[in-house]
Amino acid sequence: MEILIQLIFSGIALGMIYAVIAFGYQLTFATSATLNFGQGEALMLGALVGLSFAGNVLGGPYLNFWMMIPLVMVFGALQGALVEFIGVRPAIKIKSEFGWIMSTIALAIIFKNVAENIWGKDDLKFPSPVSEAPLHFLGANVLPMEIIIVVGALAMMLAVEIFNRKSIYGKAVVATSNDRDAAGLMGINTRLVITFSYALSSMTAAFAGVLIAPVTLTGATMGSVLGLKAFAVAIIGGLTSGIGVIVGGLILGIAETTTGFYISTGYKDVPGLVLLLLVLAVKPAGLFGKTAIKKV
Amino acid sequence: MLTIENLHAGYDKTEVLHGISIDVPKGKVVTLIGSNGAGKTTTMRAVSGMIRPRSGRVTLGGKEITGQDSFRIARAGLAHSPEGRRVFPTLSVADNIRLGAFPRYTRSRKRGDIDADLDKAMEMFPRLIERRDQLAGTLSGGEQQMLAIARALMLNPEVVLLDEPSMGLAPILVEEVFNIIRRLKGEGITMLLVEQFAAAALDVADYGYVLENGRIAVHGSADKLKNDPAVRAAYLGGSH
Repeated sequence: MEILIQLIFSGIALGMIYAVIAFGYQLTFATSATLNFGQGEALMLGALVGLSFAGNVLGGPYLNFWMMIPLVMVFGALQGALVEFIGVRPAIKIKSEFGWIMSTIALAIIFKNVAENIWGKDDLKFPSPVSEAPLHFLGANVLPMEIIIVVGALAMMLAVEIFNRKSIYGKAVVATSNDRDAAGLMGINTRLVITFSYALSSMTAAFAGVLIAPVTLTGATMGSVLGLKAFAVAIIGGLTSGIGVIVGGLILGIAETTTGFYISTGYKDVPGLVLLLLVLAVKPAGLFGKTAIKKV
Repeated sequence: MLTIENLHAGYDKTEVLHGISIDVPKGKVVTLIGSNGAGKTTTMRAVSGMIRPRSGRVTLGGKEITGQDSFRIARAGLAHSPEGRRVFPTLSVADNIRLGAFPRYTRSRKRGDIDADLDKAMEMFPRLIERRDQLAGTLSGGEQQMLAIARALMLNPEVVLLDEPSMGLAPILVEEVFNIIRRLKGEGITMLLVEQFAAAALDVADYGYVLENGRIAVHGSADKLKNDPAVRAAYLGGSH
């Protein structure tokens, strides 16, 4: 029983990371019906840039962990805007339905290669900003960093939700998601809104990168699998549902840690992908996805 | 206020408008009538930047706006309540109305008192008051139409384009919409109105243009058109 609780705790931390990356997929999907398939690489770059500020890989540390986070978020936002500008905007302009898929994948590969050349191919250790001694809770061990992951991920998603609901700019983003042409008629620069959603999406991923880096290994290849699994989470939860990605992330995270222990670590990726196939077969809009209300 | 000169526009390979010219003087209501497929909505879309005209010239208050992005044209002061209403279904009624004032919030248009205008819009459309916090997607068609007009007015526009405001509405609501248009006219708001209820449109308008197959067939004062035998036969016969 204690082992199960332990596995659930670890699964929650992992699941929240999936959720926050999946949330990033939703942000761009909402405004432009496109996805940044380089979300995993945005996370990886965030982690490595963060490590360069707060770790000793490039002559540092220059800053402590907490001071580094805002800089990493700015970096993530710029990186996301660049992806949109180079890879997505031209495809949207010519109304290409699939052009953005190849271009975001291509940019992801380029980012990975660049990272390998700057930071090397080996995994690096990211110094933990908090004690690495586990806390005991319900008979299980919880790393303080895992608590920070859960709180940080929730705070990030909540902040975006509040922005969307309360500020006129956030409402402009929602309007663009609802109906791009009509949003343009309101004087909203919808191209800028789409760029902004990419910036926000990569910022979220970069933030997730520095959250997860201290409990895992940091390196150029860390993002690919995370990005893919978060994509599965976005499909499982539904590309339009905020609560869906949290539930989807937790389901996948816990499924992986329990499978890893009770069956075999070799199979830990299987349950999530089986779930993905099931959802696609039974409820393609995702567990929480809903069809929009449209009156004609 | 709004002048359209020799406008050509269309979709992909099909040209819908073959060079039309319309003048909407300040403070006047101009209506564009014509059968389905004549190009009325295409005209509206080409003027407000939803589609790019192929050639011709559109000016707003003397400034050229031809082919600009719709958000720039809106910021220049042209409000467009589009065909099909196009309210934002997942936002509340109040937020929909506020977004009509987006360029005022961002100060790309003179800000003024947005909250006072919001209250004024609510007062003009009392049906919206009790729906204020309801999602726009849950409104009836008539309420959505009121909302679309209220939202357009929040821009404090120089010109309002109203595309088929009566489409799909019950007769009593059609009358309500026309009463509102009459009231807006009384307030001196410049409007270009596209309508299928030609007789009602000509009653409220100062000038009318009849669009046939992408060309202006007849134009003149609303009274002149109402008494034009050809217009009567084609557009006013069975519609009222």
